[in-house]
Amino acid sequence: MALGKKKDDREVQTYMKTSPKTILLYVVIILFCIVVISPLVIVFSSSLRSPENQTSPLALFIEFTGVSYIRAFSNMNYPMQLINSIMTTVGSVLCIVVFATMAAYPIGRIKTKLARFLYFFFISGLIIPSQMVIVPIAQTLNRLGVPNTRFTPMIMFITCSLPFSVFLFSGFMKGLPVEIEESAYIDGASLPKRFTSIVFPLLQPAIISCVITQGLWIWNDYFYPMVFITKKAQYSLPVGMLQFLGDKENPAQWNVLFAACVLCALPLIIVFLALQKQFVNGIAAGAVKG
Amino acid sequence: MQPKKKRKGNTSLIFTNKMYVFLIPALAMFLVFWIYPVLQLFYYSITNFNGINYDYEFVGLKNYAKVLSNGTLSNSLKNTMIYAVFTVVLSNVIGMAVAMALNTRIRFKGLFRTCAYFPALFSAIVVGFIWSYVYMPGAGMIGNLLTLIGLDGSAFNPLGNYKTALYAIAIVEIWKGFGTTMIIYLAGLQTVDESLLEAGRIDGCTEWQLIRKIKLPLISATVTINVILSVIAGLKAFDYSFIMTNGGPGKSTKTLMFQVYETAFTDMKMGRASAFSVMAFAFIIIITVLMLFYLNKREVEL
Repeated sequence: MALGKKKDDREVQTYMKTSPKTILLYVVIILFCIVVISPLVIVFSSSLRSPENQTSPLALFIEFTGVSYIRAFSNMNYPMQLINSIMTTVGSVLCIVVFATMAAYPIGRIKTKLARFLYFFFISGLIIPSQMVIVPIAQTLNRLGVPNTRFTPMIMFITCSLPFSVFLFSGFMKGLPVEIEESAYIDGASLPKRFTSIVFPLLQPAIISCVITQGLWIWNDYFYPMVFITKKAQYSLPVGMLQFLGDKENPAQWNVLFAACVLCALPLIIVFLALQKQFVNGIAAGAVKG
Repeated sequence: MQPKKKRKGNTSLIFTNKMYVFLIPALAMFLVFWIYPVLQLFYYSITNFNGINYDYEFVGLKNYAKVLSNGTLSNSLKNTMIYAVFTVVLSNVIGMAVAMALNTRIRFKGLFRTCAYFPALFSAIVVGFIWSYVYMPGAGMIGNLLTLIGLDGSAFNPLGNYKTALYAIAIVEIWKGFGTTMIIYLAGLQTVDESLLEAGRIDGCTEWQLIRKIKLPLISATVTINVILSVIAGLKAFDYSFIMTNGGPGKSTKTLMFQVYETAFTDMKMGRASAFSVMAFAFIIIITVLMLFYLNKREVEL
């Protein structure tokens, strides 16, 4: 069927024809999307009001001013928190990619019982919740003399990401052909050379998937920074949001609170809208490949 | 002789044991910051350690007895089970239904997909704030809507009622999570061969039969992975109990992890929290193993 046709033509031609059934489908999907998105629309519209505007948030977009944003911006010390969030996320994700691809190399390639055991050993970490082990972890860090800085949560982000990342990379590695490596071996390439110039580049789709899933989680996590960071200047965006905890049931504070929510989510929304395709593919690949 | 013989069968010339060097950084971090702390839990569970003062004593199995007798374990187990089952079932059903609707030749597919996935981008803390507003009696989004259509919006208080609070926070988790589930289902559905569906249609299958007899069996691996991911997330439930309800009203939204956190940080009873963790961990392992066995079996049958 239409084998020789270009992909573009086919997509244009094969939309569903309008029938009562398809109209019903559209109506259901549109209603569903409205229900899902409505809290976010209300939050956005309220954030654009001045803090004193106390009309019901349901009256959408009745005022446009940046006053609530300015107040939230200074309450949060936004630039500082943004930089902290970026540094933590980028640093952690870089380390995860390096450590997990390295660990997945022997696990995915060697076919012994030991390699198989290590594979399951790492995966078993997936089921351990952070809250459960947080006190012993804090003590371990303490005993090792690790000070509480903005970089302390990174240690835990990297560690917690290892089970999933090793699982993802070793699963992907099993699907990669060994022939290229064999010929490189014959040409006299050393083991590190084979890893950096053959295996690592071939892992690229899995690396994108790892960066997106783990980056999303680390950017949004508040638990480890909440436990390990004591100085306000070192807060990341989600932890900074904790200072608004008392405002959530106080309608008089909502406009500023919602402006803070938008500010907190904004960087990720921009990244998502710019890289939508990579996001969708990355999330799907992370689950399906493994 | 023995090791040499074994090696011949298992490792190749290129992929030698030298490769294990690559494991060192990851394995070191994993052992020091993840496995060692887990083992320490077993040790602390037989002490009266308070988390700060190292002059603790060994108290034997007292902590275990206390946790079992004061009802915190059974209460939070029950809450976690309800929460996990509710979120797993609904986020998978909704995620799959939306994925199937979007896998047709529909217009604006990308826009609908973005809408459904959008909540997943927000931090749990922001989501908790937004839904605290949505659920607020009277002035909140739902309360306000109820007042608009002539009902009593101030009587609507899902978070204040101990019968509904757990379900209310589970809905928040579903709202944030179903988009991710949907994207994974969409990827699975796109691997279903169109010619099989065509054959089914020629044979006179209804749309429901196509779903039940062709699509579902073919995406069973995707179902497995989605269910596993959402069960793991459900058993770890903590965020919305912590941000939105603080475990209340009463103890109706105290999940396993909320209870552990509260015992360790609020009550400063690290020994008891460790005993609690050990038992919670045993429970999580049992559930995970049972689920893996069941799903593996089912995948073959389908």
